[in-house]
Amino acid sequence: MPVLPEPTPSAVPTPSAVPTAEPPALAWRGVRISYAARAGDAERVVAVDGVDLAVPRGGTLGLAGESGCGKSTLAMSALRLLPRSAVVAGTVELDGEDVLTMRWGRLRAVRWTEASIVFQGAMHSLNPVRPVGQQIAEALELHREGSAGPTEARVRELLALVDLPAARASAYPHELSGGQKQRVMIAMALACDPDVVIADEPTTALDVVVQAQVLDLLTGLVRERGLTLVMISHDLAVLAAVCERIVVMRHGRIVEEGPARQVVSDPQHEHTRELAAAFPVIGDPASRLRVGRGSTGAVGGSHPVDPVGPGAGTGAGSAGEGAAAGAAVLEVRDLVVDFRSRGSRVRAVDSVSMSCGAGEIVALVGQSGSGKTTLARTILGLQAPTSGEVRFGGELLPRSRAGLKRYRRQVQFVLQDPSASLNPKHSVHEAVAEGIRIHRLPGDEGERVARALTQAELTPPERYLRALPQELSGGQRQRVVIAGALALEPTYLVADEPVASLDASVRGEILALLLRLKRDLGLGALVITHDLGLAWNIADRVLVMHRGVIVESGPVEQVLLDPQHEYTRSLLAVVPSELSRR
Amino acid sequence: MSAAAPARPGSAVAARRRAQLQGVTREFAGNRSGLVGLVLLVLVVAAALLTPLLIPFQTLDVTRLTAGQNEPPSGSHWLGTDPAGRDVVALLLWGSRISLLVGFAATAVSMVIGTVVGMAAGHFTGWAQAVIMRVIDFFLVIPGLVLAIVLSSVLSRGVWTIIIAIGVTSWAATARIVRSQTLSIEARDYIERARALGAGDGHILGRHVLPAVLPLVLANTTLTVGSAVIAESTLSFLGLGDPSTISWGSMLKTALDTGAATAGFWWFVLPPGLAIVVVVLCFTLVGRALEAVVNPTLRSR
Repeated sequence: MPVLPEPTPSAVPTPSAVPTAEPPALAWRGVRISYAARAGDAERVVAVDGVDLAVPRGGTLGLAGESGCGKSTLAMSALRLLPRSAVVAGTVELDGEDVLTMRWGRLRAVRWTEASIVFQGAMHSLNPVRPVGQQIAEALELHREGSAGPTEARVRELLALVDLPAARASAYPHELSGGQKQRVMIAMALACDPDVVIADEPTTALDVVVQAQVLDLLTGLVRERGLTLVMISHDLAVLAAVCERIVVMRHGRIVEEGPARQVVSDPQHEHTRELAAAFPVIGDPASRLRVGRGSTGAVGGSHPVDPVGPGAGTGAGSAGEGAAAGAAVLEVRDLVVDFRSRGSRVRAVDSVSMSCGAGEIVALVGQSGSGKTTLARTILGLQAPTSGEVRFGGELLPRSRAGLKRYRRQVQFVLQDPSASLNPKHSVHEAVAEGIRIHRLPGDEGERVARALTQAELTPPERYLRALPQELSGGQRQRVVIAGALALEPTYLVADEPVASLDASVRGEILALLLRLKRDLGLGALVITHDLGLAWNIADRVLVMHRGVIVESGPVEQVLLDPQHEYTRSLLAVVPSELSRR
Repeated sequence: MSAAAPARPGSAVAARRRAQLQGVTREFAGNRSGLVGLVLLVLVVAAALLTPLLIPFQTLDVTRLTAGQNEPPSGSHWLGTDPAGRDVVALLLWGSRISLLVGFAATAVSMVIGTVVGMAAGHFTGWAQAVIMRVIDFFLVIPGLVLAIVLSSVLSRGVWTIIIAIGVTSWAATARIVRSQTLSIEARDYIERARALGAGDGHILGRHVLPAVLPLVLANTTLTVGSAVIAESTLSFLGLGDPSTISWGSMLKTALDTGAATAGFWWFVLPPGLAIVVVVLCFTLVGRALEAVVNPTLRSR
């Protein structure tokens, strides 16, 4: 049965909005999509399983869910862009016309003129060897028999629409920033003036500041041009910032549907609650130093929050205060790191001083390009500093090979992308034992590996020992990386965006693991992130880094609830959960 | 999760290797020309290995010969006799032993040098890399055959001289391939993780880089054997080999020296030439099939 959302009072004030007799701009009716598991294989994987959904003209719909839940497949079916091996049942109606039974010529005409797609990953969807203006014009040339003049004018118009100067039309993709590329993708989607735009994870690879700009742009376009927008994301807060209604999918089925505010603030289905909890509201005491399922019951949603002082609210808060008082183990003084790039010097880290205590989790927050990863690599001795010093336990970071090797038993590293940071040919056992073998640790190797895996909560360890990384989920892979670090019994952990490439529900589990390691093993950690919510979730102190300089630092509550520096304020203003509140 | 039953990790690794090997075998078996090449190669190698049992070396002793010189093919001598009255089939089989030995041994020398130097050139940075790269460039630009001729005339005559001469002059291309693969492997995050775990150069090269470049080297090896066989024939033909050993190249040289080629004794000229062509072709077919297995992007082209 098709679900036609009733017009909400807060609907976008476009004149075209909803006379109910008119067919919806886009509707899926009983859609079921399956793929052949392998080429030529009879077994089929069902990606979308009986979805009924309709988007009214001028409506905005958010599709949420983890990777693999079928949300992208569903969206692609609107323009029949699925691979050959996909079998689609049911009907997909675009403006009352069934897309699945369209003739090929009609389908080509409909693509881009009635509905268009902003593809996932602007970084890779643009042709690197053609100027972006030409790429925008490509759709125009395919669909219009006009002369060159109007096309050029139209490209200028489109660029103005997405707030890019017309001169950028002659730029190549590598000359544009991530946000600018995403704008070009949106301009491409708007080229033929479609009624329906489908945006597939339009902000996933962008940092918070740029994400806010792109979301603003989309909201503005919907309001001014009466676009019908279907937006896909795994982040409920991002969807809530743009969309009126949110649909949550899992295993190819819709598990929850409703007005955006309601879905985010009062989720009914357990899976929605998990998704909502993964991106905490900063200032919400329920998610402070608590992650995962523990906090899901009390997500307060979009209400202003009481300031949390020491001792106020949860006991965990005061425990954090206690840990922050620990002696400083990691000290950085006047650290400068320069890179030479084409003759000119680029200062990535600019006289940074900081200190981190034992058993304390410190979050280093900043946009991409702020130098936070360089700082981490320098602390780990993977990058030589230009000047300044790093001290661990009072001793200067060694320069000699043997000294560095000893140092690495103390300080360990967790990388961003667990799929890339494990050798695909090494089993879990080999990956975890790698450090043990390098340092020739005494005792039984199997026992040490099993202990590390247990500490990383891969239990029972025997189940995982012989698995290859490709057989594990993203979260399990990250646990293997953490176990590999723990096998050396370090006292300090440096984690570079440890959850940025993981699914929302797994994110909570990994963060909870970091918290538990801190509690049980007294393991201190420097966690690098662009996500202020993560800092609110697990950190005791937060350092805000901007253009190689630490602009603000202090306890989490102080910095995030009462930011002093302008940059911190601007970062906080663009957190999606804040955007959806406006 | 495929890992259900607890098992010793060692046996698990062995099981996985077996499964991988089966996959490679299946992939290779699907390539018909590669399969034809492999079957022919196995036959040639088996014949070369069994030659001492089939045809004792004494039959080539000039003092005990019964046949006349340059006899055309007949029932007793399938491919006739050479200018000294020796049976050409026997010469061909004995010659295959030297040709293949030189081919394999020279390739082994070339591969070991190429892999080690290539990995070093990719792994190290700064001046060490600059020096290694210039050495590779040097061997890449000098004509290999000329250097091999110089080497084999400077060193004492013999099979091993030829092997070294060929091996030392043909590794540069391999080194460049290995270097590019090394660079691409070293850019991966798991190398960074290994460094952070405290790994030194030896560990990274041995545990991560070498296993990743080996399949490439293997596919390259079979292609190189072919050119090594040709190089050996060329050197022998030019008279730089050991005159007392029989190889396909030296057979061709004898044919030229004794005027067999101009006198129309085709049975002594064509067989060694065809043998070289067939063996080289087989190695190329197998090598290309292996390359397609190792590098899936080459498939279905």
